[in-house]
Amino acid sequence: MSYLLRRLGQALLVLLVAFTATFFLLHFLPGDAVVARYGGPELGLSPAELDEIRDSRGYDQPVLVQFWLVLTGFLTGDFGYSTQTGASVSAMLAAALPQTAALTLTGFGLAVVLAFAIAFVASFGPFPWLRQLVRTLPPLFVSIPVFWLAIVLIQVASFQLGLVPVINPTPLQELILPSLALSVPIAAPLAQILVRSIDEVRAQPFIAVVRAKGASDSWLLWRNVLGNAMLPALTIAGLLFGELIAGAVVTETIFGRSGIGRMTEQAVANRDMPVLQAVVVLSAAAFVLINLIVDMLYPVLDPRLRSRTAGRSAPSREAVRT
Amino acid sequence: MSESRITRPHRRLSLGASIALSATLTMTACGDGSSGSDGDAAAGGTLTYLEQQPFDSLYPPAAGFYPNGAVINNITDRLLWQDPETLELHPWIATELPEINHDATEFTFTIRDDVTYSDGSELTPENVVKNFDLYGQGDDERTLTVSEAINNYDHGEVLDEDTVRFHFSEPSPGFAQATSTMNSGLVSDETLDRSEEEFGPGNAAEIIGSGPFVLTDEELGTEYTLEARDDYDWAPSEHPHEGAALVDEVNVTVTPEDSVRVGSLTSGQADIARQIEAQDEDQVTGAGVDIVAADTKSVANAFNLRFGHPLLEDIETRQAFMHAIDRDAIMDSLFTESYPQADSPLSSEALGHADQSEFYEYDPEAAVDLLEEAGWEEGSDGIRERDGERLSLVVNEAHPQPRSAELITLAAQQLREVGIELEMNSGDRAQQQADQQDLDLIQVYHSMVGRADYDVIKSQYHSENRNVLLNGYEDEVVDPELESLLEDVASEPVEEDRSAASEAVQRHLAENAYVLPLFEEPQVYGVQSHVQGFATESVARPSFYGVSLEE
Amino acid sequence: MSTAAAVFTDIRRSDAGRSLLRPTVLLSAAVLLVTVAWALLPQLFTSYDPIANVGASLQPPSAEHLFGTDSTGRDVFSRVIHGARETLTGALAAVAVGFVVGTSMGVIAGSAGRAVDEVIMRIVDVLLAVPSLLLSLSVIILLGYGTMNAAIAVGVTSIAAFARLVRSQVVQVSGSDYVEAAYGSGASFWAVLWRHVLPNSLTPVLALAALQFGSAILQISTLGFLGYGAPPPIPEWGLMIAESRDFVATAWWLTTLPGLVLVLTVLATNRLSHAMHTGGRS
Repeated sequence: MSYLLRRLGQALLVLLVAFTATFFLLHFLPGDAVVARYGGPELGLSPAELDEIRDSRGYDQPVLVQFWLVLTGFLTGDFGYSTQTGASVSAMLAAALPQTAALTLTGFGLAVVLAFAIAFVASFGPFPWLRQLVRTLPPLFVSIPVFWLAIVLIQVASFQLGLVPVINPTPLQELILPSLALSVPIAAPLAQILVRSIDEVRAQPFIAVVRAKGASDSWLLWRNVLGNAMLPALTIAGLLFGELIAGAVVTETIFGRSGIGRMTEQAVANRDMPVLQAVVVLSAAAFVLINLIVDMLYPVLDPRLRSRTAGRSAPSREAVRT
Repeated sequence: MSESRITRPHRRLSLGASIALSATLTMTACGDGSSGSDGDAAAGGTLTYLEQQPFDSLYPPAAGFYPNGAVINNITDRLLWQDPETLELHPWIATELPEINHDATEFTFTIRDDVTYSDGSELTPENVVKNFDLYGQGDDERTLTVSEAINNYDHGEVLDEDTVRFHFSEPSPGFAQATSTMNSGLVSDETLDRSEEEFGPGNAAEIIGSGPFVLTDEELGTEYTLEARDDYDWAPSEHPHEGAALVDEVNVTVTPEDSVRVGSLTSGQADIARQIEAQDEDQVTGAGVDIVAADTKSVANAFNLRFGHPLLEDIETRQAFMHAIDRDAIMDSLFTESYPQADSPLSSEALGHADQSEFYEYDPEAAVDLLEEAGWEEGSDGIRERDGERLSLVVNEAHPQPRSAELITLAAQQLREVGIELEMNSGDRAQQQADQQDLDLIQVYHSMVGRADYDVIKSQYHSENRNVLLNGYEDEVVDPELESLLEDVASEPVEEDRSAASEAVQRHLAENAYVLPLFEEPQVYGVQSHVQGFATESVARPSFYGVSLEE
Repeated sequence: MSTAAAVFTDIRRSDAGRSLLRPTVLLSAAVLLVTVAWALLPQLFTSYDPIANVGASLQPPSAEHLFGTDSTGRDVFSRVIHGARETLTGALAAVAVGFVVGTSMGVIAGSAGRAVDEVIMRIVDVLLAVPSLLLSLSVIILLGYGTMNAAIAVGVTSIAAFARLVRSQVVQVSGSDYVEAAYGSGASFWAVLWRHVLPNSLTPVLALAALQFGSAILQISTLGFLGYGAPPPIPEWGLMIAESRDFVATAWWLTTLPGLVLVLTVLATNRLSHAMHTGGRS
């Protein structure tokens, strides 16, 4: 229990530091949101007038005061207002989150399917050359830039073959291509873990013993493989999350979808500090939460670690996570 | 109907062509006075329009940004209507052209009494005055700026139940045209009370105009729908179409990726796409889609040399810059016939245009002579130097302008031949915006501006407007003559005098080698051949009002 | 850090030490040697100027222009070759940032006291918690634009990975019998660190560095796509792919050929990293 509290404390600390660092980082960014919004030559505002606008937004207050205001705002669930659009950041997030959740969840689901398919063919495929070939897919998958893949996918699947429309698609159609593009870099590490797990399980002598006793081949194999693969898969959960966020920024921009990724891209382009702050802190919170859950699950899944949970976070896990 | 279909795969509009075509189209269609249900132009239907960027404000004076203009032009009406081809003004919400006093300081309009806003409220003279008081005076507290189109505004006054008068502190001959621009789009009283943020994205459905379309289903940053108003019945009488819009709705999707916009168009997933880049035109026409290049009839796309900077203070250096750039070569390798080469700081279809091409001839030898005359000696790396200072200039990348980075790449290669270094300031739009006001960061400014009035040249160059030359940088006006010439354009009450003043400005800009015009910037649309009657207003923002879809 | 790292460093199966001599490894080494040669001596491989107009624009690949020409008539093959320098230097700088900062943090965390360890590892946690793309975007708008700044921004995202790996190595090696013995024979802390701990940690760290190298190339290209990479007309691979994406349908060679070179290079570094890792373990 004390371990749990300790981890929880650590998690909150990490969040606070992430919040603070982001705040000050964004605060000192050159080219502020007011210039991005009002500095256009067509508005013809003088630097003095721009300063007035800054003052009216409270940017003239001491940094620490602003920091305190933003921090207390975040703690009460008030993320402030976008400098670019004036919309409430909470409302923007509420509108964008479901879109991104749908995209990343289908992307992740697709990645799992893809990973199993690769692992299966790589291990049980009909020809040795085919098995070898498929084993080269995961390294290839992580070597392709996602934005390039997405553009090629659109060109081929939508524009050349006309399989899925990109403009005015149905809710289902609009998920297909972006989640496919998103799934590729995610599927690679999962497939790798599965392939390795299958190799290990098949090498174990007990398999032969149980098989001799007449147990169903595949049932036994997959049960063991999954058990074996679960731990390394969990350790990279946080990483996969980061990859999903990066993928969302790229795919949402290319496919013209609304969502957190697109919001982030726009916020960076417009130096929209309140939005960026919220996005960074939220994704950090999600990351921390995921890792907290993983840490809790770890001892449950790995008996070897059970005795060690009272100590510092498991060293074997850290070695694996790097 | 079909006989008037546009078959030329490539047309440079001269938007009148489209208007004229749509006239034949829609007049046949609307012969019975209904909304055009006969012929083979299907009434109704949904038009799919691809936009490149999301709009960022629906405050009408901010409509200069194309994505904003696409909305405002379709949801608001104006007092006057400017024929996009002839640039003549015609009545719209005003029942006739305004009465103007002799020195152009008082404008009197008679207002229609049958117009309603989309929320049901009436468009009254009081409301019209409230509109122009805001656009003409701005509101500092709400950070709502004065409209760029309106000069010297003092106040508005309601004379009786259908007449209003606007008063100006100085002559403001451009005001009549200003009332026809999107920047003067009329909105309801409640809309006028909104703060600057409330004009921003996320609130679009609450921006109430009296136009033929109403904005619905806004999805932040990605799409929105323009729904036709059934009871719309106050189109300008000169407009070829009357009554409600022909399509039921326009679905606008924001697709920032050029390749996606073009691909969607060629694969038939969209009806119209804005901003087709020159290099994609062949692909678009190859798929049987028309290219519509609408001239913006304004200040041409140009390099503006900031003569206040020490490196550019000599006229010889500036002239060398002009002569070192082979505009033909640039136009040939980067652009198509949709982009006519400019022969003056103003586009050839702009009001007051006067040819200045003699000043822009490509002559690298003359450029070298001029540079030596100005004391620039060839340095060790080929770039010229004078008193230890390298002739190295920085130009901004103009993100909204077509192929800016590539154009600069080619120009820099040519300039290098004569020993001038041209570097591109890197950074996204926000960064460029922040840097462009700093003479030490940007010495050559790449830009254009759109508005179909004599005033446009003042908008671009005057120190109190866009001031692209940074004349008056840190309050030091280097060339007061330019300032006074520009002021003449905006204040001469008689049209011929304005035209003459505009010519004088163009001459001045060319003679002093301040501005190297490159091309007359169009707005290029890809339009499916089944789309009829697509038109743009005078500076090339789309109008969906007369558009119909053929089965 | 990228998922590539997760794929290739999590290796518990011990491959045979021969892995360094496998054909794919040799091939990968050859690919890298070629790209390094491009970077060092580009003029040996092409006579075209990478930033000058050398012919008509958008010509498909031919004997004259192996990879065709781009939208302003520049020779794409020459740009790829000259771009090797930009790209490899950028990736190298990114790895160097992560390596130097991360390794220092890891060594200190692993060998100093508990309190220092805690502080450093929480900083590492924060770096890990912010998704790498967001982190590098923030760093880039802070530093400004340019190839090196993009490289640093990408490097920052790999600090955490290096720090964690090095720390765990240091902790592991410090606990081993011979290090205890070294202390027993009177060696100072720094001597032990220098003589025993670092050499033993080197292989996995180098493997991670090789891996980050490939991933940095990819990350820099993604920044280029979003408009925050190297400024044109610099011939950087990622930028070339990103810039020419509008020509996917009309001039396939513009993205495909530089893309292929990029993918091959990343694959090669990944393969080498894997080989170093497994080879080092046996």
